[in-house]
Amino acid sequence: MNDQLLAAVSQYGAPALFAIVAVAAVGVPLPITLLLIVAGSLISQGAMNLWWAIGAAGAGSILGDQVGYAVGRWGGTAAIDKLSHLFGKHADLPAMEAKAAAWGGPGIFITRWLLSPLGPWINLASGTARYPWRRFLAWDALGEFTGAALFIFLGRLFSDRVMALTAVLGDLTWAIAGLLVSLVLGYRLLTYLRRQR
Amino acid sequence: MALGLALVVAIGATVIFASRAKQNVHRIHSGNEPILAWMSVPFIAHTHHVAAATLFQAIGVQPREPHDRRSLRHLARDLNRPVPELIAQLQRAIDSAAAAPAQPPGGPPR
Repeated sequence: MNDQLLAAVSQYGAPALFAIVAVAAVGVPLPITLLLIVAGSLISQGAMNLWWAIGAAGAGSILGDQVGYAVGRWGGTAAIDKLSHLFGKHADLPAMEAKAAAWGGPGIFITRWLLSPLGPWINLASGTARYPWRRFLAWDALGEFTGAALFIFLGRLFSDRVMALTAVLGDLTWAIAGLLVSLVLGYRLLTYLRRQR
Repeated sequence: MALGLALVVAIGATVIFASRAKQNVHRIHSGNEPILAWMSVPFIAHTHHVAAATLFQAIGVQPREPHDRRSLRHLARDLNRPVPELIAQLQRAIDSAAAAPAQPPGGPPR
């Protein structure tokens, strides 16, 4: 299916990009980073317009994120369960709500592009935690347009190395996630050891 | 105990992914991009620095005007040929173009 999505963006441009990123933002696991980098490469080849691409990717992602937020806020448990099946896991909503509350707006911003696998969970959790919608929308829009512009510009810059660049970014994302987890665990371990003394 | 073990696993994963990222950075500078079924001929031409017309000619396709952005899978279906065969033909054309001496500015010598 990923092949067909990439071919669709290559052939139909911004409208296909809009539709695919919207579906992915709801929680369907799709290769969005690769799609944005391919879009950047297509721009450098003159096959796509830069501003249309950033606009379509940003607007599509925001639309999908709002669906996730709305389900969390007004959908009830059954709808949340159905949506979390799309993610391929059961939602651990209490934990995610705690994360959403602790991270606040910057957490929403960072999970739009740097820790994007957490994005759909944070959308749901922000809804269930009744995080103010306007503030959610503002941080969401800031993060999604930042992410879209960043990956599209990178794709434009390395337009003849899209697969290698995607591999680097994928590994970097997991390395950063691993580093953050290590820091949190290290801090907890230190606190625990101090209490033991 | 469990916390310490989790920390070791997290640090290990960080190191593994960081070293993989470093290897892939090297690939950006040196390696060739793969040819995949979702790619169009102009896209492959761009990533391999070959003229699209050369690649269309290699697989015997008359490109549609103004831009033929059909994927290799789409072309294979239209031509009733397997995708790996098209990829092999394109790879040979790319290798030939890379092996050919660069032409001086203004075209080949008369």
